[in-house]
Amino acid sequence: MCIALLAPLGGFLVTWLMPGQAVRLATGTMAISFLAALWLAITTWNTVTHVTLPWFTAGTEVLTLDFAIDNRSLLMLVVVSFISLMVHIYSAVYMRGDTGFARYYAMLGFFTFSMQGIVVTDNLLLLFVFWELVGFSSYALIGHWHTKRSAGAAATKAFLLNRIGDIGFLIGLMIVWRTQGTFTLTDALSFPITSGWQTAAALCLFGGVIGKSAQFPLFTWLPDAMEGPTPVSALIHAATMVAAGVFLLIKIFPLFTETALVVVAVTGMITSLIGALAAMSQYDLKRILAYSTMSQLGLMILALGMGVVDGAFLHLLTHAFFKACLFLAAGIVIHALAHAQQPHFDFDAQDVRNMGGLRKMLPTAFVAFLLGGASLAGIPFFSGFLSKEAMLVALFTHASALSWLMIVVVLSVSFLTVLYTYRMIALVFLGEPRTVKTINVHEVETGMRIPTLILAACSLWLIVSWNPFDFKGWMHHTGHAGPHELWLTIISVLWVFAALFLARMIFGKRTPETNSLLRNAFYIDTAYSALAEKFTQVNERVTSFTEQRIIDQTLHGIVYFQVIIAHITGWVDKHIVDGIVNGTVRVTGWTGRAARSIQGGNVQLYIFWAIFTIIIFIIWALN
Amino acid sequence: MPHLILVYLAAFLFCTGLLIVVIKRNAIMVLLGIELMFNAANLNLVAFNRINGPNLDGHIFALFVIIIAVCEAAVGLALILRIYRYYQSSTPDQFSELKG
Repeated sequence: MCIALLAPLGGFLVTWLMPGQAVRLATGTMAISFLAALWLAITTWNTVTHVTLPWFTAGTEVLTLDFAIDNRSLLMLVVVSFISLMVHIYSAVYMRGDTGFARYYAMLGFFTFSMQGIVVTDNLLLLFVFWELVGFSSYALIGHWHTKRSAGAAATKAFLLNRIGDIGFLIGLMIVWRTQGTFTLTDALSFPITSGWQTAAALCLFGGVIGKSAQFPLFTWLPDAMEGPTPVSALIHAATMVAAGVFLLIKIFPLFTETALVVVAVTGMITSLIGALAAMSQYDLKRILAYSTMSQLGLMILALGMGVVDGAFLHLLTHAFFKACLFLAAGIVIHALAHAQQPHFDFDAQDVRNMGGLRKMLPTAFVAFLLGGASLAGIPFFSGFLSKEAMLVALFTHASALSWLMIVVVLSVSFLTVLYTYRMIALVFLGEPRTVKTINVHEVETGMRIPTLILAACSLWLIVSWNPFDFKGWMHHTGHAGPHELWLTIISVLWVFAALFLARMIFGKRTPETNSLLRNAFYIDTAYSALAEKFTQVNERVTSFTEQRIIDQTLHGIVYFQVIIAHITGWVDKHIVDGIVNGTVRVTGWTGRAARSIQGGNVQLYIFWAIFTIIIFIIWALN
Repeated sequence: MPHLILVYLAAFLFCTGLLIVVIKRNAIMVLLGIELMFNAANLNLVAFNRINGPNLDGHIFALFVIIIAVCEAAVGLALILRIYRYYQSSTPDQFSELKG
């Protein structure tokens, strides 16, 4: 297990240290990691492995590093390392000639390490550590081309929004610690907690998920994250990092109460709708895929919110494959177009309005898009269809008022998915070439094609089960489409084909202008930017006001006060203290004079005092 | 008792003499006051002699006192003469060199 976990980390380190051999080292370590994961999966399938190592002591509490590998973790390990391996091979060609080549591979390795960490850990605190590491590596990878201003801004935005979600995560961590006394998940989830705290903890941890998995309202970083290299998008924003949120949700699922689940489901619903609607109207190829990812994640979260854990996990896995395939294929298109334009970059290689008719020139990409897209759209005989079926069936058997609403939403989203997938393929590959007519586009190298095709093959139904219509296979265990639900399957198949038909009608011939409201994802992103700007301005004004009026005035006041005190002290010193001294002197002088007067030089006075004293003495003596 | 009135008289004379000594501004008057005190003391002695029996101790004592008084008066006058020569005045207020 350690090999699977640590090999990518080793890859990161050695690539950093020996940049010359970057490709071979990184790919080699990744292959080692994948094989180790595969071996681990095969040997420990259906068992749960626990490893506990002491970590540190805080006061009287001893915190441990816990690792728990169950089936789900094994699957994730294999999938993550596999997709990462494909991306490594792919990037050897895609990123060739890039100045940050070694750094890129190092961060890829580091990212994979962090992701594997999330998958195998059983301790919430350790998971948070890896969570942050994943966030950091995604920041580094999105902003890989750091000389480009937009890339840096996008990376910062991604990290910031992640961080906002992590506030919720931290609060959730604290609540868990307080109520359960431990961070270890297997222990923490086995005690009951009072309902209010449980909902609070669940929702706070869900906050972290919202940030990481680009749910509403913290989703605006995902479209901008397309500034990174396409293989990065394939790895991070399709298959793994955004899936980390869903995976966390699955792990802490027992923690969720009814109310929390409703919140989760509604969030997923909103996200998937926004994503699908926005994906319909984008011009940038990668953004279509980004919004599509957001929409699919919304579906997964929705399913989790309705209690469909296995279905969501299945969809997570299938989505990982077909989305990565789509991104890599998109990368082929972009790379080919960019290459063909050299040395003058006349048009945006990512804008679909410039593309068209590429099926003749880039057949591999076309095939990959067809397979991956079909899986995304949920066409039968593909893995996406099976995972969507799993979710739908489970929702149907749930049969509550909310689940009917959710079924409607899922059906609408899948309708929209078909539409935008068809639009995407139609605009890029079908029809006649538009601006690309002017350049000579030729097929890309094998190094890029093979990983894409491998992943496309993984989008077929075989990955899930032998029967193309039955999703119960080695990935998914609970339930399958029984006779009651068979007509649901039939309906969904018909639904998909209806959508295809409609799509062909709409998008077949022309490229319609898209709605700007949808294109900008309801201007939520713009709203956030404006809000942040406003906040900064207000902040500036408040602090400058405070500084000038309050702080400076306070200082002046203190100074004046000091001077007044000084004056008072002087007065007191002069009049009172000296007065006392003078008074004492005067009293002493008067007393002295009085006493002295007995000794005045007058003889008769002496006689008088002497006789006086004698008389007194006599009177006293005779008494 | 009728003899006690002599004692009272002697006391009165003594107080008067004291008063003269203390108040008068002339040194000779001071001497006069002293003489008066002597006489008062003599009167006292004779008065007690009369009270206390047939022996004449008091009278004899008074004789001695007279003699002493004469000597003392002589000495006193001599002193005043010397002082007068030194200070050119006979007012005791002027003799204040011992003033503290």
